[in-house]
This record gives sequence, C-alpha cells and structure tokens, in this order.
Amino acid sequence: MKINRKIFALMTLFILIMTACSNENESVEGPTNEPQDMILATTTSTQDSGLLDVLIPIFEEKYNINVKTIAVGTGQALAMGERGEADALLTHAPTAEEKLVASEDVINRKRVMYNDFIIVGPERDPAEIQGMDVAAAFQQIFETGAIFVSRGDDSGTHKMEWSLWEKASLDPSGEEWYLETGQGMGSTLQLSGEREGYVLTDRATYLSHAGNMEHMEILVEGDDELLNIYHVMQVNDRKYERINREAANLFVEFMVEEAQEIIKEFGMEEYGQPLFFQYTE
Amino acid sequence: MNILQMEQVKFVANKEVLLDIPYFSLGKGDILGLIGPNGAGKTTFLKLLSFLQAPTEGDVLYKGEVKHADTLSIEERRQLAVAMQQSLLFDMNVSNNVAIGLKLRKENRKVMKEKVDYWLEKFHISHLAKKNGVSLSGGEAQRVNLARALILEPEVLFLDEPFAALDFPTKIQLMEDLKDILKDTNITTLFVSHDLIEINNITKKLAVIIEGQLKQMGNTKDVIHHPNEQAAPFLGKWKELYTI
Amino acid sequence: MGLIYEGFLKAIEMLLSGDREIYEITLTTLRVCLSAILVSTIIGIPLGVLIGLHSFPGKKIILIFVNIGMGLPPVVAGLYITMLLWRSGPLGHLGLLYTTHAIIMAQIVVSLPIIIGLTSAAFQQIDSKMLMQIKALGATKLQRLVILLKETKLAILAAIIAGLGRVLAEVGAAMMVGGNIRGDTRILTTSMVMEVSKGNFDVAIALSFILMTLAFIITFLLTSLQQRKRRV
Repeated sequence: MKINRKIFALMTLFILIMTACSNENESVEGPTNEPQDMILATTTSTQDSGLLDVLIPIFEEKYNINVKTIAVGTGQALAMGERGEADALLTHAPTAEEKLVASEDVINRKRVMYNDFIIVGPERDPAEIQGMDVAAAFQQIFETGAIFVSRGDDSGTHKMEWSLWEKASLDPSGEEWYLETGQGMGSTLQLSGEREGYVLTDRATYLSHAGNMEHMEILVEGDDELLNIYHVMQVNDRKYERINREAANLFVEFMVEEAQEIIKEFGMEEYGQPLFFQYTE
Repeated sequence: MNILQMEQVKFVANKEVLLDIPYFSLGKGDILGLIGPNGAGKTTFLKLLSFLQAPTEGDVLYKGEVKHADTLSIEERRQLAVAMQQSLLFDMNVSNNVAIGLKLRKENRKVMKEKVDYWLEKFHISHLAKKNGVSLSGGEAQRVNLARALILEPEVLFLDEPFAALDFPTKIQLMEDLKDILKDTNITTLFVSHDLIEINNITKKLAVIIEGQLKQMGNTKDVIHHPNEQAAPFLGKWKELYTI
Repeated sequence: MGLIYEGFLKAIEMLLSGDREIYEITLTTLRVCLSAILVSTIIGIPLGVLIGLHSFPGKKIILIFVNIGMGLPPVVAGLYITMLLWRSGPLGHLGLLYTTHAIIMAQIVVSLPIIIGLTSAAFQQIDSKMLMQIKALGATKLQRLVILLKETKLAILAAIIAGLGRVLAEVGAAMMVGGNIRGDTRILTTSMVMEVSKGNFDVAIALSFILMTLAFIITFLLTSLQQRKRRV
C-alpha cells in the first residue's frame, strides 16, 4: 500500500509538473498580451509539403497570433468555412470556392500561388499515355481499363480529377479498375504505387514521396488544364459569431504579400525545383 | 443481564419464512451452542443476532435497547466479533490478517504487536506469521480466522461452523484449543454448528433450531440427554451415531 | 527491407540528437494521456465501486451502456465531441475544439467505460460473505472501501492498464478533435499518421519506437506494482 501511494503521488506530481510547465510556456509567450487564436482550415497538400511549417511561425511571430492549422481535404476545409468553424481558408478548388463567395460565406478571396497536377503511373505505362495531353490520357486509361487510383474524398485534387473526367465525357465510377481510397494524397500515392495504378496528384506531394516509389514516374505534365490554383480567403464574420475577422484579414494580406518571397524559394533546396509558383492578382 | 435478545423476530426471503423466533436471549458469559440440520436457519440466526442483517419483522436488542443493522454505531459493532464458516482471509501475511481488526480500531502499534504474537502463539500458528493468508491450508486458515476474531477481545463472539471444512484430526485438535481459550477468556459466545460432538465439547448451553424455529433450549447436557419431542428426531440420530 | 533499416537508423539518430519537436510531441502525449487516465481513474473507480457493490433499479441498463462504451469506436467519440465543441455547437463558447483539452475529453470518453466496467466487474465478484466479514471486523464505511480496494487491487490496476492502453493507442478521435496542430495538439499517434501520409516513413518509425517505449515503461511500472505481492 505504501508503494501504491508513492507511485500514485509520483504520477500526480508528474502531471502537475507538466501542467505547470505548459502554463509557464504560455505565460512566457504573452506577458504583455495574450496571443489570439485563429483557425486556418487548409488542404493536406500544403501541410504535407511542409510549406505551412515555414510560413505559419513567421506570421505568428509578427502579429502575435496563434494559428491552429487544421489540415483536411479541400471539401472539408470549405465545409468548415461554410459552418463558420474556421477563420481563414487556404484551398485549391476554384469552382467550389466561388460558390462560397457567391453565398457570402467567405470574403476577401485572393489568389496566392499555384502548383501543377501531374499524372503519375508505373514506368511500364500499360495504357501508353506518356507525353499525351490530359484529355487523351484519360480517354486512353478509360479504354484500356488500366488501374486508376482516385482520392475519392471530395478534396481539391478529387474535384480536379472529376472535372477532367467530365470534360472528357467519361464516367469511371463503378468501373472495376477505378479505385477510390477516400484518403489523403500521400496515402493515395502509396496505394497507387503498390497497385501500379495511374494517379492524379499535385507535384509537391509526389516529389516528397518519389523516393519511396522508384518504379513510378511522371507521365503527363505541363497541360494548362492541370494548373492547381490556391486561394486564400477569410470567413464572413457577419454571418457567424466568434470569427476572428482581424486575424483572418491579416493572414490573407500576409499570404499575398510577405509570404510570396518564401513561396518562390520553397523546395529549391530539397528538390532542386520550387514546389509552388507565385500567382497573385 | 441479557447482552443480546430477539423479540418476535421473523426473517422472510422469497415469501418463505426462514426464521421465526418469538423470543431468544443470550446472557453475559454464556457459551451457547446453536445446533440444527443444514438449512435450519442457523447462519441467518447468527447474522441477525450480530446485526449483520436486519430481520424482516421484530426487534433485536443489544443491552436492552432495540438496534438495527444499518444504524448500529461503530463502537457497538466493534463489541461483536464474527468468524464465518469460510475463513475469508485477506491477501496479506498472517500477522496482518490477525491484526486487521485492531488496525481498523487504530490500536497502538506496540500493543498490537504484543497481542498478535500472543494470539498466534495461542493458536499455534506463530511459524506462519509471514505467510500469505490466501496460501494456507484449511486448518491453518481457520486458526487465523479464529485468532482474528478473538484478538478483538469482543463482548460477544460469534462462530459459524468454524470446523465444518476441516478433516477430523485437525478438527479435534483445534476444538481442544478453542475450548481452552474460551474457558480462559470467558467471552460470551454463540457457537453455531450441526455437529453434536463440537457442541458437547465446547458449549455450556444449547439451543436446537429446526426449520427456522427454536425447539428446545437449556443446559447442553440436559438437552442432549433429555431432548423434547421436537428436538429428539434430530439429536437422537447423533446419539445413536456417537453414543454420547 | 532497406526502408525499415534506414528508418531504424533515422529513429536512433533522432532520438539521440534530442530533436526538440519530437521531445515536445512526446511530452504532450504523456501529459494528455496521463491527464485523461487520471481523470478517468478518479471518476471511474468510485463509479465502478458504486455500481459493483450496490444493487439498484436500472443497474443492468447502466452496465449495458458501460459495456457498450468499452467497445465504443474512438472516432465515434471524436465525432460527437467535435460537434459538441463546434463554434456553433452547445459548448462552442468555451473555445475548446483543437486544443489538448478536447483530446483529453475524447480520451476520457473512451477510457472511462473501461475503468468503470472492469472495476465494477471486480467488485461484483467479491464474495458477499467477504463483505459481511469485513463489516463484522468493525470497519467503518471508509475502511471497508479501502480494504476492498486492496483486495481488488489486481483487477483495478488491470483496468487502469487497459484504459491507458486504449488512450495511448487512440488516433482517430485525437485527430478529429485535436486537429494535429504542430507544437500544440500534435501527439505521437497523430503525427505518425501525418508522417506516413507525407511519405516520411523513417520519422514515423522513430515515433513508433517512442510510442512503444512509453507504453512499455508505463505498463511495466503498473504491472510490477500489480504483481508486487504475488511473490510470497
């Protein structure tokens, strides 16, 4: 029993110390004024590429704002904006975003950057799409019934893929060779590598995974159709209470001004090419 | 003076009257045996008299006052010690098992140690002091169980078939030890058993219980040798078997 | 095979170099999990004792719900807590979503039923004669409880170990209600999921080692506490 008590006391003490430590950190951060919280809903691709890990700390430091980055699919990020669960959004599904602008759920939407989508597939290229334009490549994949792996999660990438099928007047849903993962870009890429299927991905995510899947390569790229455009926007505080309008506004401005210098250089060191390109209005 | 008394007590479970005792009393210094066949209500009787369970009807009195199982004060409760049929020892060593009641009473450490040593010696289990209570044999465990109750020096001691699970030689030996101890301490005792040999050895008074009713009560020798009509069928069998 | 080997090396390198972020994630994980299990223990054991020792109308129903709770998928807990904590939800004004408090809440929800369930099962198994014997020894209500807790120590520690295991392993709810925010709500399991989706298997492997080491140390401590007396 004595030892029981000791260990219990130790555990309690341990937790108290840790709680105390965390409080200390907070008080160190804001002795003058408490940092305010801002929720940024964004796509997994911006987080998985590591770009936000660079940008956010700079923004936080400059404005004394604590950014809570919630990385989800674009569909969910936009839904969070629509519900007023986030203050600012950074997404890449222009058509869907425009709907939110029209319904005044979001305001101050600005173009930030783009990267491009590419079609990646196995080296042996069973559907022989290498070098084709997108529409032809999709047509070819559909006709040969080669395995195609889709995000299937209503994300920006998934929306882009669907618009491409639609433009080609094809409907792959339900086809045996059409696999929907319902997961993030990284997991979907992994799966396509294992199943040797074609996949539409953003370049940044592919580059960070390329080392793990040497038998896969870029087969289609450079088509204008494949531009992946990111917009930043703030959630309309007139529609929802508790929106941090000020912080969201600062973030939008930050992304189109100061962040641009960093975006331009990001990825050069690791991959020898930038992962995103400046693209302001 | 009667320490414990029952008046118009009934105990009913599942609409069946298990116990019906118009009157019963236990006087100071009595060593009373309660004998009866299995299922006669002996253990229930012990639980009611020791305030571990409340009767469905009627009163149980402690020193002339009506008390209730739920409202008996802790000081009063601590005057009543019970050793159940199963030894029910705790997962700790024998010394601590024997000392547990004193610990609960916040007894002085030194006094406690002396008493534990004394009672371990009395029951010839000093060599088991450091053994875990749950690893003992039946006879050893029952000795610990009895020592655990007696160390409390209670006003009333309740023993529920303490020898029932023991083999014969073990039983005889423990019976002799208990007999001496009860003689020395002069504690008022209710000794429940279905075994006339035990009763004959240990008790001075005897009550016979059959089908929830007290059939005869009196001096142990008198009851055994002159059972009334209702007690005779049960006691008679024993007399034939053992020619007491 | 090469990947596992490289991951292994990377893991050792990260652990030895004392990577600050990993250190923080580990501390957050410990703080969150231990807080959750502490609260679950403090609430769960008394409730388990009450349910186990007493009979009252509705006990069966409560036990059914506790047992369902023991198998409650964490993501279900996560979903409902998310909705509760949404800005537009009933507790939105507290601003708890995407904080470690929210993760702790979710972990309490998934571990509390385990602790209540296993504690009440242990107390239900106590011989009613034993209860009577303890009462007869002159124990006050509080003393009775202490004796019973000692007697059921094995089962209760098993309950805490099981609860802790669930909390440490949990990822779905922590992701949902915590948001995996860097330097804030990122814990070992959620950052493992993230690193895998980033393709950083080496980092994920390193994190898995830390997680397993933590689970091992804590379980080892609790188990040796549990088995301490058994050597007699």
